[in-house]
Amino acid sequence: MLPGLNILISGVFNAAVLFLIAAGLQIVFGVQKIVNLACGSFYALGAYFGITALAWAVKLQLPVATFIPILIASGLLLAVVLGPTVERLLRFVYHRDEHFQLLLTFALVLIFEDVIRIFWGASPLQSNNVYFAFGELPLGRNFTVPNYNLIVIGIALAISLGFGWFLQATRFGKIVRATAENAAMCEALCIDLSKVYVAVFTLGVALGTVGGALVVPAAAASLDMGVELIVDAFAVVIIGGLGSMPGALVGALVVGLVRAAAIWLYPEFEMLAIYVIVIAVLILRPQGLLGKSA
Amino acid sequence: MLEVSDLAVEIQSSEILRGVSFNVGAGELVCLVGRNGAGKTTTLRTIMGYVAPRAGAIRLTGTDLRGKSTLDRARLGIGYSPEDSEVLGELTVAENIELPTWTRRTEKSAHERIELAFQVFPNLRRYATRPGTHLSGGERKMLSIARTLALDAKLLLLDEPFEGLSPAIIPGIRHSVHEIVRLGRTVLIAESELQHVPDYADRIYVMERGEIVFGGSLEQAHCDPTVRRIIGTTV
Ligand SMILES: Nc1ncnc2c1ncn2[C@@H]1O[C@H](COP(=O)(O)OP(=O)(O)OP(=O)(O)O)[C@@H](O)[C@H]1O
Ligand SMILES: [Mg+2]
Repeated sequence: MLPGLNILISGVFNAAVLFLIAAGLQIVFGVQKIVNLACGSFYALGAYFGITALAWAVKLQLPVATFIPILIASGLLLAVVLGPTVERLLRFVYHRDEHFQLLLTFALVLIFEDVIRIFWGASPLQSNNVYFAFGELPLGRNFTVPNYNLIVIGIALAISLGFGWFLQATRFGKIVRATAENAAMCEALCIDLSKVYVAVFTLGVALGTVGGALVVPAAAASLDMGVELIVDAFAVVIIGGLGSMPGALVGALVVGLVRAAAIWLYPEFEMLAIYVIVIAVLILRPQGLLGKSA
Repeated sequence: MLEVSDLAVEIQSSEILRGVSFNVGAGELVCLVGRNGAGKTTTLRTIMGYVAPRAGAIRLTGTDLRGKSTLDRARLGIGYSPEDSEVLGELTVAENIELPTWTRRTEKSAHERIELAFQVFPNLRRYATRPGTHLSGGERKMLSIARTLALDAKLLLLDEPFEGLSPAIIPGIRHSVHEIVRLGRTVLIAESELQHVPDYADRIYVMERGEIVFGGSLEQAHCDPTVRRIIGTTV
């Protein structure tokens, strides 16, 4: 029973973070029709920025309770700066071939990797003490769960519920859905597409940077984390279905849990297991588990 | 209200419109009639800013629309109801109508504009909470026109509002369009069948292969040999 529970908790923790990034990818794809590889960079930048913010918090001897708000705030701050800037750049490829979009966003991945190298160096950074400062929840004899994992799962859940509410119930959410459905018609209904695009892209970036910031107490920040995440996020999106939010949730759970199970049972299969699922989905259900068939 | 002069449009280097000129006066109902592929939709899409003309000018109450985006044109008060209605399936019927009141402010209140839309198309009230995907072709046409009223457009471009509808529904929509004209709005309709042209139309223009070949009243059109040859009057 214990390995099972362990797999569950760490799998859901992975899934929670993956879902945030995949949700960002999905909404940007849905509205701007752009496959944004740079989502991996936003995640990595969020992580490094988060580490720096945490270091400041520790130096100023702020209480542990402030750490998570500080991490989230650092992610949001980063997104507010990065979102509109990068969106401005992407405007050049909105109506062009996917190749241009992939090339441009991949170029961004490489550029941001160098930016990280310049500011934070090439060796991985860690903030272990913070993780343990949150304590552990005893769940039985000899079995505890790190509180931090539970908190992040809770936050991801809250963010996804809030996100769903925003899209379903608010005026701006309705405008976003309408734009995703038919941008040309929306323009004739006086929707300022450029404003919607900036807002949606910044939201997508924020999901990435906040996701990266939240993961940093539990894992090291490293140069290749961005590229690694792109692979995972695409697995999530392929499994769940491109453009589908419930799909992102299901895909994130599949990837998170399978990965956790593989690490526990047969570490060599960690990546292989995910690729096998991705390939199976592509063959049997190319639109993804919850995607609309084309 | 709307002056189109010498409009030429090329799509993928084939000439779609040639020397298209016509006028729609304030408060008028004007119909652009032509067979399938004559260039009616292209004309409306060019007025709406979706297609950039190679030559010619479009003026709205004297303002040259050259270089203006679709958004700018919508802000100036041009409403567009496309051929396939393009109702937003993500939203409910009521939300489809409310949306333009969120995005465009006019001297009329949002409430007033929404009420007007429902008043002209009272059937839509019953479907208010239905998703846009769950509508018949006729209901979609009505909703698409109702949205231009909620936008508070002064010039309405309606692409084939009677097309593909059962004869039982057409009189209802025709009545609603008449009401819109009586409200003082200016309306330009694209229509492929002469018999669908409302008898209260102020003027019709007949299009053939991207050119205007006739301009005049409906009665004159019925007697005109060119129009007869092209559209084959069945009336
Ligand atoms: N995007 C496009 N690419 C190539 N050709 C086009 C395009 N749009 C329109 N055309 C061509 O332009 C001509 C006019 O088309 P348009 O849709 O304006 O006609 P229409 O009068 O609205 O016809 P219908 O009654 O069938 O709606 C047609 O020959 C059509 O094939
Ligand atoms: Mg047409």
